[in-house]
Amino acid sequence: MTSRMIVIGAGLSGLMSALALAEAGLRPLLLAKGYGTTYWTGGTIDLLASRRYPNMPLHTALTHLIVAQPEHPYARMELDGIAAAVDRFRTLTKAAGYPYVGGLERNVVLPTALGALRPTALLPATMAAGDVRLGGEILIAGFHELRDFFPPMAAANLQAQHIPARGVYLTLPDGYQRHDYSPRSFALWFEQPNFRQAIGQQLRTLRGTATRIGLPAVLGLRDPLGVVNDLQQISGAQIFEIPTLPPSVPGMRLMNIFHQAITVAGGRIQIGSEVRRGLGAEGVLTHIFSEAAAREQRHHVAACVLATGGIAGGGISTDFRGTVHETALNLPLHAPESRQAWFASRFLHTEGHPIFSAGVPTDDQFRPLDSTGHVVYANVMVAGSALLAGDPVEDRAVSGLALTTGWHVGTLLATSLPAQLAT
Amino acid sequence: MTRTQQLLQTDVLIIGGGATGLGAARDLAMRGIATILVEKGDLTHGTTGRYHGLLHSGGRYVIKDPQSATECAHENRILRKIMPQYIEATGGFFVTTPWDDPDFGDKFMQACHATDVPVQEISVDEALRREPALNPKISRVFEVEDGAADSFMSAYGIARSAREHGAQILNYHFVKGLIREGERVVAAEVEDLRTGEIKRIGATWILNAAGAWAGKIAALAGLRVDVVPGKGTMIAMNHRMVNTVINRCKMPDDGDIIVPIHTVAVIGTTDIAVPDPDVYGIEPDEVTFLMEEGEKLIPGFTRYRALRAWAGVRPLYKQEGVTDDRDLSRAYVLIDHAKRDGIDGLLSIVGGKWTTYRLMAEEIVNVVAARLGNTTPCRTAEEVIPGGEAQQLYWLGHNLAHVEQHQAFGELICECELVTREQVLDAIAQSGAANLDDIRRETRLGMGPCQGGFCTYRAAALWSEWRTARDHDVHVPYNGHGNGQHQPDASEPNDPGTELLRHFLQARWKGLTAIMWGDQLRQARLDQLIYLDTLGIDLLPDAAGEDPELVTHHPAIATEYHV
Ligand SMILES: Cc1cc2nc3c(=O)[nH]c(=O)nc-3n(C[C@H](O)[C@H](O)[C@H](O)COP(=O)(O)OP(=O)(O)OC[C@H]3O[C@@H](n4cnc5c(N)ncnc54)[C@H](O)[C@@H]3O)c2cc1C
Ligand SMILES: Cc1cc2nc3c(=O)[nH]c(=O)nc-3n(C[C@H](O)[C@H](O)[C@H](O)COP(=O)(O)OP(=O)(O)OC[C@H]3O[C@@H](n4cnc5c(N)ncnc54)[C@H](O)[C@@H]3O)c2cc1C
Repeated sequence: MTSRMIVIGAGLSGLMSALALAEAGLRPLLLAKGYGTTYWTGGTIDLLASRRYPNMPLHTALTHLIVAQPEHPYARMELDGIAAAVDRFRTLTKAAGYPYVGGLERNVVLPTALGALRPTALLPATMAAGDVRLGGEILIAGFHELRDFFPPMAAANLQAQHIPARGVYLTLPDGYQRHDYSPRSFALWFEQPNFRQAIGQQLRTLRGTATRIGLPAVLGLRDPLGVVNDLQQISGAQIFEIPTLPPSVPGMRLMNIFHQAITVAGGRIQIGSEVRRGLGAEGVLTHIFSEAAAREQRHHVAACVLATGGIAGGGISTDFRGTVHETALNLPLHAPESRQAWFASRFLHTEGHPIFSAGVPTDDQFRPLDSTGHVVYANVMVAGSALLAGDPVEDRAVSGLALTTGWHVGTLLATSLPAQLAT
Repeated sequence: MTRTQQLLQTDVLIIGGGATGLGAARDLAMRGIATILVEKGDLTHGTTGRYHGLLHSGGRYVIKDPQSATECAHENRILRKIMPQYIEATGGFFVTTPWDDPDFGDKFMQACHATDVPVQEISVDEALRREPALNPKISRVFEVEDGAADSFMSAYGIARSAREHGAQILNYHFVKGLIREGERVVAAEVEDLRTGEIKRIGATWILNAAGAWAGKIAALAGLRVDVVPGKGTMIAMNHRMVNTVINRCKMPDDGDIIVPIHTVAVIGTTDIAVPDPDVYGIEPDEVTFLMEEGEKLIPGFTRYRALRAWAGVRPLYKQEGVTDDRDLSRAYVLIDHAKRDGIDGLLSIVGGKWTTYRLMAEEIVNVVAARLGNTTPCRTAEEVIPGGEAQQLYWLGHNLAHVEQHQAFGELICECELVTREQVLDAIAQSGAANLDDIRRETRLGMGPCQGGFCTYRAAALWSEWRTARDHDVHVPYNGHGNGQHQPDASEPNDPGTELLRHFLQARWKGLTAIMWGDQLRQARLDQLIYLDTLGIDLLPDAAGEDPELVTHHPAIATEYHV
């Protein structure tokens, strides 16, 4: 059996790695238990908006971090590495008709479904008109039937921050009443011209003096930009999407784009396979064992990207005795000693909760290290939330870290491996 | 903040909105006696809202406290008749595990017979057939009439009925002082925590039903009631591994009982003396201990997902002459301060169990009624609490059946506990829920495996839409239609629902850290990412402390929100 390039994990980091390996002609196999957190996220890519680097442009904040934290994954990629990943992501999404805007220069501030003002680096063009710098009155509109979006609450909070806003509910057109509703069902309806026409008309009537209208991020699966343009024409206002609670339609769009791109480039994605253990010799990983439908499968490994996420993604598990465990290859982790030390007492504590900083320590090539600082497997690289990187939530850098390290590690593996692997 | 004093006068003032106080309020009102009840938090804020959920058969007390056992057995039968809608007839087993004295079973049987607690020994095979998850190494099984009871719902039911009979029940009313005239307690000074208003409530009799806080209340009149607060911790697991209450067949001890209630199974408890009923936490050691004890009754117990942990405080009354806390009686005591201290107008009732609340209420009301010259007999043992007329006991499928009958899937606000939009709005509009915790207690919203990640956001928004509509007299959007439009102006602070949400998230966090590992920790991370990343709640300006309706800020009841 020939050995293969294997990526474990189908989150943003695993997808970027698989794309890099596939485009290098290495025909990677991506194994994952599930789709990862992509289906849950709002779809923006946050690179950095840390309290530790306040009041400076994104580019400058990144430079500061790279100097101040030389072991941070960003420092190991440097600005060029980050920029390369961002570029590839932008060309990918643009080619798929779902372009992202923004970049490394500065963060854009967008209203959330709660009416908070949240910074992000890259955002789908369908969210661009939410940029608070645009000014003017905002109308937030939603549906009672979509249970996770409450325009009056969002508007009241925007208003309290001196942004003129109003929240209204729209009425579902006749024929669309169901016993149950999901974000996906709304997304499919928005792809129907009649539905758009009816909603657009209501928006036009309710708009008043508002110049921009925020809607929940359910404006179509395949051609959201087309939906937005159409609604703008009918309503006479700029339209933007606001991410809401999972499942996330922007996440589904991204997943479709990656699936397509990786498969076309010769990679293969196998969802529903949980990796339980690995087997190595002399510092090299030779096999991994995955389980699907209660059947164990053995894979011969040439090299491997571990992109299994952190506690949210299932790459790190814990138990009541306080054990913290890396689930796929049982790699050594950095984690707090005992359960007593896992949590801060306040949920919104600004430093985050120590347990969520657990991760795999690596060298500057992203290879896993043991407690004595030696590389565990020379042919394994770690990306995304599985990495030891503080708690990226507190730095508002989770998806950015996944995106950039995923791409970086994929290209690193592709260039550092002997050519004969490319079969 | 001082406000004008309001004067109220009544025959009887009850302090404490737990099972005992509420039971007394209903009983008094049914006898036609003018009654006001004050509770510093929401109803069931005290031990009643933090108990184990067991409708005692009496089995646990047959040896340790025979009188309690008999009372429990008796009240068990009565409660099934007067409040079937809050009780699930799970039945109970006492099982002898390899860790228990094999001879205890015989003593147990004898004691059950002596105390009138119905019991029957069944074969291990039969027990395992009915409860396959039980440890197969058990050697004997005794079946009793344990049940599961919802203390939140029943408290609201009792309160509703008491109000219908004319009682006034005031939650978020904190007793700050008792006023004495000579050798008589004549009134209480009460603060309305929602408005800051001070009320003086004069009463011919005051009943101190403040549970573990009874000593603090007595002290306000310069009297001593020695209550030893004993903390007990429980853990709810996200699965009913058993549908029968499972007790270890041994002297009652820590971690020896699992109660299936609603969608969960609850293991408990511990018993640790604490200095103050308002100050206690849950220790990781207690949790580890309970998990390991659970494993003895149900192999694999620790692999299920722990949903939440909470603790209640037992009000153990310290009788004179008793030195060892373990020998303190679990039965209740009625203290007539006229007899004991020569101070008239005040009665204290301490101890007991949820299962015996009605009996305790009857006894204390008998005393009060006699003093007031009222001869109307007690009817609480016969008169059904509204909603229970059909004499149908609660069953687990009840909520789902409701949702199915009304085809209300699209109206579900809390998917885990099947709570609909209508129920949430009802809790707000009809019962006056002041915050998300109140809504939770009334509807079970947020009690399921998702830790309220989704539904509390929804409930907060509904609450704030409702309040905006009320304050601005706009039509309240009810069943998903209508257009509750109101234009807030920029001088308003944050949306009040958002503040509720922030508080609730903190309170929930505190309740969860004790049991967060495995999937529950993963869930917590998901919820954290939702609130920080998707919603950015941490980025909103903090307006906490500005909203008077956020009564949880008040130090009298805010302990659970502070760490
Ligand atoms: C509700 C929500 C909102 C969010 N919003 C934002 C946001 O606004 N901004 C932001 O920056 N970030 C946000 N994030 C975080 C961020 O999107 C992701 O968590 C991040 O991209 C991490 O990606 P990842 O590739 O490292 O891992 P994940 O996306 O966690 O993927 C892990 C993958 O590994 C698989 N896996 C795990 N263990 C195994 C195993 N043993 N065998 C096989 N497969 C395994 C999983 O099935 C999954 O496919 C949000 C997250 C959530 C949950
Ligand atoms: C861990 C544990 C588990 C238990 N499990 C069970 C069980 O499974 N089955 C069972 O039958 N019994 C059980 N019990 C016993 C039962 O819960 C209690 O006996 C019962 O709930 C006591 O009710 P209460 O009304 O007397 O007290 P509480 O419910 O404590 O009510 C007293 C009230 O007084 C209020 N108060 C205090 N100070 C003031 C003030 N200054 N002003 C206004 N109000 C004030 C408090 O807020 C509180 O709500 C358990 C007890 C504990 C501790």
